[in-house]
Amino acid sequence: MLLTVDNMNVYYGAIHAIKGISFEVAEGEIVTLIGANGAGKSTTLKTVSGLLRSKTGSITFLDKDIGNVPPHKLVAQGLAHVPEGRRVFLQMTVEENLEMGAYTRKTGADSHMEKVYALFPRLKERRRQIAGTLSGGEQQMLAMGRALMSDPKLMMLDEPSMGLAPILVDQIFDIIKDLHKAGTTILLVEQNAQMALSVADRGYVLETGKIVKSAPAKDLLNDAAVKAAYLGG
Amino acid sequence: MVIFLTRLINGISLGSVYAIIALGYTMVYGIAKMLNFAHGDVIMVGAYVCFFAISTYHLNPVVGVLLAMVVCTLLGMVIERLAYKPLRQAPSLAVLITAIGVSYFLQNGAQLLWGSNNKMFPAFLKGDALQLMDGQLRVSVTTVVNVVVCVVVMLALTWFTGQTKMGKAMRACSEDKGAAQLMGINVDTTISMTFAIGSALAAVAGVLYMSSYPILVPTTGSMPGIKAFTAAVFGGIGSIPGALLGGLLLGVIEIFAGGYISTQLQNAIVFAVLIVVLLVRPTGLLGKQIREKV
Ligand SMILES: Nc1ncnc2c1ncn2[C@@H]1O[C@H](COP(=O)(O)OP(=O)(O)OP(=O)(O)O)[C@@H](O)[C@H]1O
Ligand SMILES: [Mg+2]
Repeated sequence: MLLTVDNMNVYYGAIHAIKGISFEVAEGEIVTLIGANGAGKSTTLKTVSGLLRSKTGSITFLDKDIGNVPPHKLVAQGLAHVPEGRRVFLQMTVEENLEMGAYTRKTGADSHMEKVYALFPRLKERRRQIAGTLSGGEQQMLAMGRALMSDPKLMMLDEPSMGLAPILVDQIFDIIKDLHKAGTTILLVEQNAQMALSVADRGYVLETGKIVKSAPAKDLLNDAAVKAAYLGG
Repeated sequence: MVIFLTRLINGISLGSVYAIIALGYTMVYGIAKMLNFAHGDVIMVGAYVCFFAISTYHLNPVVGVLLAMVVCTLLGMVIERLAYKPLRQAPSLAVLITAIGVSYFLQNGAQLLWGSNNKMFPAFLKGDALQLMDGQLRVSVTTVVNVVVCVVVMLALTWFTGQTKMGKAMRACSEDKGAAQLMGINVDTTISMTFAIGSALAAVAGVLYMSSYPILVPTTGSMPGIKAFTAAVFGGIGSIPGALLGGLLLGVIEIFAGGYISTQLQNAIVFAVLIVVLLVRPTGLLGKQIREKV
């Protein structure tokens, strides 16, 4: 397993946001975590990347326990997290944002930037533009491109389709498929369950901090309860 | 006309020193989102170090400045590590009160170590004044040095934050610490570096300030500290060009107010102008429209 989360419990003060969940992601998979607003999807990703801590259990990435590793050390180990709301550096240029994505790389940042530009030609056109002036879709591309700069083994995406027009959502998902084909393992968090399940191998359904279902994505797409709750009937 | 120009030049000279100090406030604010009220007292420590290097140990003034920079850099990093880092998650009021505490600690520490009596900082910037306009206008060596140092510091910082990896990481941290961590940037190291740079600049500013106001006491840093803080707010706290603009304007306003109105009201006028500017533009002259903290 590339990533194994065992018995994760996360609290915000007195709020028990994640209640003992366990899940895993194998190399080469796209795994999705779906759930309603406030189910704890973002909290889960933040805990894996070290921004939050689990009170119990363990998080194993590439056979190492990363439960106490500070977030800035995980990038170099091959874990990239594209946070919810994109969080690009708005006052920096597109190129500077990408450079920040390669912050921990000793070599190869330049050639890697060309790869990212090949994947997102739009970013190349706008390389000198300040990120704050990009459209929402372009910012999402930048956030993903920035994460790719570290050449991650596992890429965690938190709601990449949020706030985007349908055509852009399709574009973003095409890119996710391309990345997957190129060998990147992906943990995808989405409210757009339809889209997420259509690209994923497996899915977990999160409800108020608990995993209530885990199955191959195809099965979840046909599951009556999932259909009713997340796929619009 | 000559009087006007002389005052303008003196204002720019003083303002250059304020600008260098203001940079320390503004950089720390930009990244740690806190007002480091002890910054002025770091200036004082730098001045003492340089004073002893020159007067007691008869070292070259340049060596004295370098020593002061080293000591202040370490001091700034230690202050951050011991006093502010444990309060990273604390409410901003707690941080502010701590900073005031550090300020008193440094002043009292200086008094204990070096006594409270005046020390006369030796005049170390010697040389003939530049003569302009057939000798009517004189520009002292101090003025030239202040302005040149200020320009060099400005250019160096602009280069650093715009071109170097560490400098860009600082800008990333000042925008979004969480996202910066996800890039692999060590936020603690970056904050520590910011204090180091700001404090090194404080040492330089302290020595320059002494060449215009050579009486050294443990509270020497307070007034230029508060003025430079005002300058940073005036220009837009968090903004590097804002610190330069604010510093220069503050210096010029101060000298004009003293020259044309009254030396007794000088400081009152300076702060009155600040209040008016903040009423009209709450984020300062070059400040961005950002969330309020502190
Ligand atoms: N900083 C915080 N302080 C307190 N409670 C929080 C905080 N962040 C999240 N929560 C709570 O934790 C729970 C899980 O939040 P989380 O952001 O992980 O949900 P989510 O599944 O990502 O939702 P969304 O789809 O809206 O992004 C929610 O009840 C939320 O209110
Ligand atoms: Mg979320």
